[in-house]
Amino acid sequence: MDLFLQQLVNGTVLGATYGLVALGYTMVYGIVQLINFAHGEIFMLGGFGALTTFLALPTGTPTAVLLPMMLLGGVIVSVTVAVLMERFAYRPLRGAPRLAPLITALGVSIALQELVRNFYPEAKSARNFPQLVDPNRQFSLGGDVTINAPSLLTVVVAVVGMVTLSTYVRRSRTGRAMQATAQDPDTARLMGINTDRLIVTAFVLGAALAAVAGVAQGLRFGQVDFRMGFLTGIKAFTAAVLGGIGNISGAVLGGFTLGLVEVMATQYAPEPFAGGAWKDAWAFVVLIIVLVFRPTGLLGERVAARA
Amino acid sequence: MTILQATAVTKRFGGLVAVKDVDLAIGEGEVVGLIGPNGAGKTTFFNCLTGMETPTAGTVIYRGSPLPRRPDLITKAGVARTFQNIRLFPNMTALENVLVGRHVRTKAGVMSAVGRGPRYHREERESEAKARELLKFVGLTTAGNELAKSLPYGDQRRLEIARALATEPGLLLLDEPTAGMNPKETVAARDLVRAVQGRGISVILIEHDMRFVFGLCDRIAVLVQGEKLLEGTPAEVQSDERVIAAYLGKAPEDAAGSSPKKAAKKAAPRKTVPKPAAAPDSDKDTPA
Amino acid sequence: MNQAAFVRTRLQARFGPAAALIGLVGVLLLVVGCFLPWAGFAGFPGKMLNTAPGGSRLYVLLLALFGVLFRLDWPGRARALRGASTFALVITMLTVLFIAYAGGGLVNLGTGAYVALAGVVLYYLGAQSLPEDDVVAPVRELPDGRWRVLIETLLVVGVAVGALIIFVIGLGLPTASVADGPDHRLGGAISLNDLTNESQFLCFLLFVCGAMLALSRLGLVASVGAMTKKHSRVLVAAALMSAVVFPFTQGGNGYSLRIAASIGVFAAAAVGLNIVVGLAGLLDLGYIAFFGVGAYFAAIFSGSVTSVIDMHLPFGLVILLGAAISGVFGLLLGAPTLRLRGDYLAIVTLGFGEIFRITVNNLDGSAGPSLTNGPNGISNIPDLTLPGGFNFGENHLLFGVDLPFQANYYWLEIILIAVVMTAFLRLAESRIGRAWVAIREDEVAAAATGINTTRLKLLAFVLGATLAGAAGTVNAHVVKVAAPDSFTFMESALLLAAVILGGMGTVPGALLGATVLYLLPEKLRFLQDLRLLVFGIVLVLIMRLRPEGLVPSKRRAREFHEPGGGADALSAPPGHRGTA
Repeated sequence: MDLFLQQLVNGTVLGATYGLVALGYTMVYGIVQLINFAHGEIFMLGGFGALTTFLALPTGTPTAVLLPMMLLGGVIVSVTVAVLMERFAYRPLRGAPRLAPLITALGVSIALQELVRNFYPEAKSARNFPQLVDPNRQFSLGGDVTINAPSLLTVVVAVVGMVTLSTYVRRSRTGRAMQATAQDPDTARLMGINTDRLIVTAFVLGAALAAVAGVAQGLRFGQVDFRMGFLTGIKAFTAAVLGGIGNISGAVLGGFTLGLVEVMATQYAPEPFAGGAWKDAWAFVVLIIVLVFRPTGLLGERVAARA
Repeated sequence: MTILQATAVTKRFGGLVAVKDVDLAIGEGEVVGLIGPNGAGKTTFFNCLTGMETPTAGTVIYRGSPLPRRPDLITKAGVARTFQNIRLFPNMTALENVLVGRHVRTKAGVMSAVGRGPRYHREERESEAKARELLKFVGLTTAGNELAKSLPYGDQRRLEIARALATEPGLLLLDEPTAGMNPKETVAARDLVRAVQGRGISVILIEHDMRFVFGLCDRIAVLVQGEKLLEGTPAEVQSDERVIAAYLGKAPEDAAGSSPKKAAKKAAPRKTVPKPAAAPDSDKDTPA
Repeated sequence: MNQAAFVRTRLQARFGPAAALIGLVGVLLLVVGCFLPWAGFAGFPGKMLNTAPGGSRLYVLLLALFGVLFRLDWPGRARALRGASTFALVITMLTVLFIAYAGGGLVNLGTGAYVALAGVVLYYLGAQSLPEDDVVAPVRELPDGRWRVLIETLLVVGVAVGALIIFVIGLGLPTASVADGPDHRLGGAISLNDLTNESQFLCFLLFVCGAMLALSRLGLVASVGAMTKKHSRVLVAAALMSAVVFPFTQGGNGYSLRIAASIGVFAAAAVGLNIVVGLAGLLDLGYIAFFGVGAYFAAIFSGSVTSVIDMHLPFGLVILLGAAISGVFGLLLGAPTLRLRGDYLAIVTLGFGEIFRITVNNLDGSAGPSLTNGPNGISNIPDLTLPGGFNFGENHLLFGVDLPFQANYYWLEIILIAVVMTAFLRLAESRIGRAWVAIREDEVAAAATGINTTRLKLLAFVLGATLAGAAGTVNAHVVKVAAPDSFTFMESALLLAAVILGGMGTVPGALLGATVLYLLPEKLRFLQDLRLLVFGIVLVLIMRLRPEGLVPSKRRAREFHEPGGGADALSAPPGHRGTA
């Protein structure tokens, strides 16, 4: 039983990351029906932005200052790249056939990965990330079930981020405009909503959350890697679809569900298909199953109608 | 003899009843008009007949057997349609568009297409001859190699009809065949529908141009707010007060029709509502 | 783009009347410059020293010949001149830079370099200041006459032979791995010799692009293209002959034949993918997995010592079974997922690709059942033998030429491509192909026209998978190994890029795209690590600047460039399409 509960905790931690990144996919998709493939790279850049900030600050800076600064650094890098990407890669293609932006997204994704690999110092393989939050510090959750400090931080940060975002989307003017645009872009435009600005907002918000996830990931594993965005990105997209793409609560739910499924499958799948080597395969199997049996996702209904 | 018998067709979207208990029978070789204010559920009714929407309730019998559910099977069974907002294959040529219509009446599979035996060539030749004949029939002799989207608007409507005819239908559903046409094109469209009827094909058409409808149709059904208000000969419908009331807005406005686009369209049919006294004098050959 | 147009307008305002004069002076200087040495020292490759121009000097000289257009009033001349002069400028500057770099500074430039630079700049300015053409160059036809058919046929044959010659020259230009020279280290990784050698390939590529651009802007490419369409049988025969003859031009060079064979596999897979993406409009991001299914099947059942199954099936059977199994995978994946919207399908196929890679990586006996030998893959796949005793692994003497064994595999590839191409072309022009395009254009209308959209999409998907499987089995024998690393997402992306770069929905496009994408990294090793970066940026730029690809189908070109091209109601002429 403890093993099961422990896996539940592990799945939640994993799901928190997926959920944070999935929010970016879902917001952008909700407004422009674009699968922003490069969103995983934004997540990766968040990690590298934080690392850069860390390296730039003098040694001996107290953690209480360091951590927020790193977070800020990561967010700034991610948001800047996301805005540039929207402006120069995606916006000119609005109204183009569907394949064009998707292929562009693919190109942007490859280019960003390669930029980091080639031009970030010593980033050809994983780079060490400062372990500011001691991973050996364990908190007991009852019985033998524990969670270590960085993981706890990940979950806390994720929940704060998700709550903030959903409050923003539900309460603010811009947030309501986003919801309106997601439901009917044409009418929203007729009502005087500036879609261009909304799209940028969606990119910015998504990038900020992805950056947070990227920093959390770095703290948790003690390293960042130019490749870390690709798989996380695809899985986060899976999470967004799982929850019902375009639906913000759906992305969160999908993220946690996918995290749990992945962890549980690794633990409990029939031999010989259990174990870490099959982890990613299971995530994709879930994706395919979900799309086949419930293409609208767990919470989504709207998208199918607009297909 | 009845070719199509729709009984108690109902379509609900959540709480909204778009089509409610509509009965409609079409005779062999008959031209039936379907009129009604915007938002009356005419297109939804069409969609129910052609498999674009699954009716919530009701049955549709075509030539003695119930229509299948899928659009392609319905077309195969013999019910073809056009769309209110023309849906051609814009980057295919006019001829290719019509050839796509032949798809359902031809057989060549992958093997035969790659192998290209004599049977394949015969079938292609026949298809092309049929397609060219249909282009000629709708009056597009010279447009065969032009891209569908570069055709003038009226020609696009005609091409869509040719494509539908290529599927060899027994019943053709036309959704606003004269929308956006000038008077000359409208006259040509009327002649075309007559010619289609002349080929023994029954026609149901949705139309807002009342002169067109009353001059052309054998029977007319009026749909208001999803329900069939009445059905009868053009003369009967024309003189019915309920129809005029429905058009001039005595019936409650539907809530959905509030966008400017719809409002603008709504204005159009009002102008063309015939006064009860104005008989279709311009059409001496009105079928009684 | 708009900025370029703006600059052009200003240039036209300033130099307009004298444009032709400036350009002609430039061309003259350039021609003179090309006959003078560009390098002041010996050793730079590509004949930069002697009087007779070679290498870049020859390319620039040929591009300068378009300068006669300053005196001719052909439609499209301004655009053609702009293209030719821009490429001439780029080639000249690149070469001069390379020479200066290799020679250790500007001091070592020859006089010709300065003259040519001055000339090419004037040439460029003159071309940019020409008034815009009034008309687009028309498709020309030869005048009727006795010789017309003969000349047309010769021209069509010339196209095929020309393509072969360009390919042979391009392939023959030295690369880093072939040329050995003094090892001046540059940045610790690439030798100077490599760099200067490979600059030649780059300049050659730029030259071909520039010349083709100028010719197409004069309407000549379209004119000849119309002839090839008219005499398509001649073209196919000539192309096939050129392809078959190719090994004899290589003088026993096995390396280049091997590259050509690899390009062949890549191209065959690209043509197969083109059915799925180009015709039916289904975005498949895991196509390499189907290729991998075929490759692994061939690897396992061909008697390799590293295969766990000790069984050696005849090659014909391996191809058929490998293709069939791959098709079955396509069916299993496609049947439930093809009713999904396009971008969901893309993700599902991507997921399938990853599942395949992870699976073959894990089936090594420890993480999973033992079948694929895990990350190491199945290697040492034996050479093919035909029933008559013909061994693909041996050199053969043919027409007095001793052909390296790679030629055997090369010819096998040619057969494969011919089969795949025939299937593609015949399907595209058939009832099935029309239905695919109709689905791509407007799925709802296609269904209403009687097309069983689900079935036809599945057909395209399965057919694509089958062809990929067949290509995979052949490839396993060409490269002699099947390992998970060869079937990553990046490979799928590359194949897709080949299709898109070349032009969706066309065979020459897929062939060209595959060739360029395969040859570029092979020839431009100085880009080494930057290869993928350049690739990503190129994808973005292509989508932005020329989304229809290098050899677009007419349909696609219009679709991408005219407003209202896509099949969505929003782009219809206003007022004509109401609310549905």
